[in-house]
Amino acid sequence: MSDNTLNIFEQKAEEMTATRIIPVSAVFTRTDGGFVSLDLDGKHYDRVRIIRLFPFSDANRFLSVREYEGDGKEIGIIEDLDAMSGETKEVISDQLTLCYFTPVISRIYSIKDEYGYAYFHVMTDKGECRFAINMGSNAVSKLSDTRLVIVDVDENRFEIRDVDALSQKEKRMLDLFL
Amino acid sequence: MILRYDIPHNAESMVELSEGEKIYYAVPIDIDEKGNWTDDSFFVVTTSKLFIIRGKKKTEINIADLDKATAEPGIGGGILTVRQGDSHKVLAHYSSRHLGRYAYVARGINILISGRFEEVISNEYEKTCPICGRAIPGTKRCPKCSGEGGFLSMFVKMAGPYKKDFLGVFLIMVLVAVTTLLNPEVQKHLINDVLSGNGSLKTAYALLALMFTFSASIVVLNIMKSNASARLGSKIAADLRRQLFEKYQKLPLSFIGDRRPGELLNRITQDTRFISDFMADVFCNLFAILFIFIWDIVFMMVLNIKLALLTFILVPFVSALMITFRKTIGRIFHLQYKKNDDVASELQDVISGMRVVKTYGKEKDESERFKSVSGIFADIQKKNERFWAMFDFLVNVLMGMGLVIVVYFGGLDVFNYKMTPGELYQFIAYTLLLFQYIGWLGRLPREISRLTSSLERIYDVLAQDVPEESDTVKDIDIKGEITFDHATFGYKSYRPVLEDINAVVKPGEMIGIVGASGTGKSTLINLLMRLYETDDGRILVDGTDMKDISRKSYHSQLGVVLQETFLFSGTIIDNIRFSKPDATTEEIIRAAKLANAHDFICALPDGYNTYVGEKGYTLSGGERQRIAIARAILPDPRILILDEATASLDTESEFMIQKALERLTKGKTTFAIAHRLSTLKNADRIMVIDGHHIAEIGTHSELLDRKGIYYNLYTAQIQF
Repeated sequence: MSDNTLNIFEQKAEEMTATRIIPVSAVFTRTDGGFVSLDLDGKHYDRVRIIRLFPFSDANRFLSVREYEGDGKEIGIIEDLDAMSGETKEVISDQLTLCYFTPVISRIYSIKDEYGYAYFHVMTDKGECRFAINMGSNAVSKLSDTRLVIVDVDENRFEIRDVDALSQKEKRMLDLFL
Repeated sequence: MILRYDIPHNAESMVELSEGEKIYYAVPIDIDEKGNWTDDSFFVVTTSKLFIIRGKKKTEINIADLDKATAEPGIGGGILTVRQGDSHKVLAHYSSRHLGRYAYVARGINILISGRFEEVISNEYEKTCPICGRAIPGTKRCPKCSGEGGFLSMFVKMAGPYKKDFLGVFLIMVLVAVTTLLNPEVQKHLINDVLSGNGSLKTAYALLALMFTFSASIVVLNIMKSNASARLGSKIAADLRRQLFEKYQKLPLSFIGDRRPGELLNRITQDTRFISDFMADVFCNLFAILFIFIWDIVFMMVLNIKLALLTFILVPFVSALMITFRKTIGRIFHLQYKKNDDVASELQDVISGMRVVKTYGKEKDESERFKSVSGIFADIQKKNERFWAMFDFLVNVLMGMGLVIVVYFGGLDVFNYKMTPGELYQFIAYTLLLFQYIGWLGRLPREISRLTSSLERIYDVLAQDVPEESDTVKDIDIKGEITFDHATFGYKSYRPVLEDINAVVKPGEMIGIVGASGTGKSTLINLLMRLYETDDGRILVDGTDMKDISRKSYHSQLGVVLQETFLFSGTIIDNIRFSKPDATTEEIIRAAKLANAHDFICALPDGYNTYVGEKGYTLSGGERQRIAIARAILPDPRILILDEATASLDTESEFMIQKALERLTKGKTTFAIAHRLSTLKNADRIMVIDGHHIAEIGTHSELLDRKGIYYNLYTAQIQF
């Protein structure tokens, strides 16, 4: 009996270490409920999760496709979303929009600091918005010398792709947080 | 947390209510279907329906058709989904601002699905004020809107208990101001009456003596003033520190857990220190300087109004210059400070990771990296110093110009006999005083805002509501029956760790808890220790809801041994006695013997008086653990909790401690978490926790027969 169990573990270890690349032929379909189903090698998954492995440095490459049910086992990895068919790309991009919400700041209208909080009024790729950060915490972190991630009091995340692309005036407003 | 928003009228009118139907929850949907911000969408839950309103569009769903609602947290936001048979459906997409809210709403929908009509209420605080939109610093109400914030009210709150001391400091300050202002007046007389007039030597001596007295009393008064305000400052700081510490002890762990430990530490150490510094450096001069400043201006105008106005023209220039430069200075020095931080953390990184750097042979790369960080810092420093030198120079030039104006026009007036030389001298003295204090006053707003935020952080803690025990709590003698009744809990409302835990544990039973890391074993124990309270459901002790038992009575009958043993700085006997301060020496020795600790304690040169803790005698892991066990069993608890009590020990120590524990757990309701199943061989039943639930529960052999998770774990472990 124990031999059998050991085999299960062997198998698990095998599964854990194997990396599977999802071929272009995999069929991703949008479900009525707004999720993504997958047909791969004759197997059908009602709903799959899609996770970015490099959300900042390579948002559209190396996407882990995982089962929704149970432990969320990895089914495979999409190496490059742009290499997938047009429809698949659209379905998956929509799904990613649903699970990842990190507005990218393109313009800074004002930053006002008051009693330990800084109030931002900005334009993002998701529209204009206002948010507040706690100046006492590490709300602003640097991904590189020119790239920032700002976490507001609600734990929303905002990104500034390139600080140098901002105007001199906007940069000066940001200086306090750099 | 608000679960029922007042939604705009046109949106609300779209929700058509039938007879007896009523709105339970209404929350904004702040992200539209394309993933952009929106402010015209709402999610409304009534007694029987869900409404999704997007602008003029409306979708209705009957709650009766649904099986389950889930608030799924994502990255920077989340989605509310419903399940209907096998099909999942997204209903709303929202940002992190509403993560917690939707978790409660989902819980509320599930209650409605199950056919009950209870309304879920959230006790969490809002993070931004719904009225003014400002961030709320962890308090229940917005300090601005409730009128509690603001410098003056904060300051009054702080100063309230020290009225007498403040009055004393204030009086000295007025005296300082008066003497400072009178000195030039005497000097005027010296020049007018003696030097340019026909005064006698006697008058000269008298005036000189007066001047000397004034100068001397300024010095003495200043010392008294600094002394008094420094003393007052440290008194206030000490009182605040004590209050904060007491509050920390009373606050629930979730409050501590929500904040970084450093932040809480800072509030006690840095914020209170800032208050005493403020009192010593700023406050002690505050009234004196304001007083001098105002009278200075008045005297100047009285002496020579034309000259005074001429001088004042310069004031706005000097102040404007100072303010802009100060802003720039603040900015560039902040930058320098940050870069300095970078250098420090780079160093810290490399030095503490020296072994790794060396083993991978990366010394050169690290040197290069450090060189560049350090270079950037040096550049900024160089630039800042240059700027600083310029600034000083400019300010001095401007002030010098002010003096030149005064001397030139004043001199003309003196030649025209419109002004006496003594008055001119007096006027120059006042001008110098004026410029001297402009700079100081310019610094004031920043100091005050810093003080306000320190005070705010302190009062944020002090104003925190501590959940008071209700008057109905009672002391009970615990027999040891524990019942989990639909217990649900999560550290964050939107991420449950334990869901719907149901089990009955008999008095004296030993329960082994197993499961993978992160499944909630320790959380279950935290609930048993009453460090947190269940969000939903109850835990009953001998049939009484845990919340109805007084904490004191419950904790005195509870013994805990954790994996990481914490010993306070103090002697061994102090540490054992911690759990029962009135224990006799005999009882302590008995507990130590039961815990197998007595023998090694005897071998120590200082016996039970051995000093342990951070700076004390270094005990091995096994020895510390045995002291912790002695501490746990000293009050003879009815409930014993062992969280990986032996996991960090070597095999021999573990065996010895297991032996000790076997004797102790008899007759006591025991919960033991263990990874190594062999340590649970005495357990009456095993509880397997998996996926937030109790996956399996039963005796060792029952679970083996089930061939489930426990069986797999067990067979895997005996193979190794």
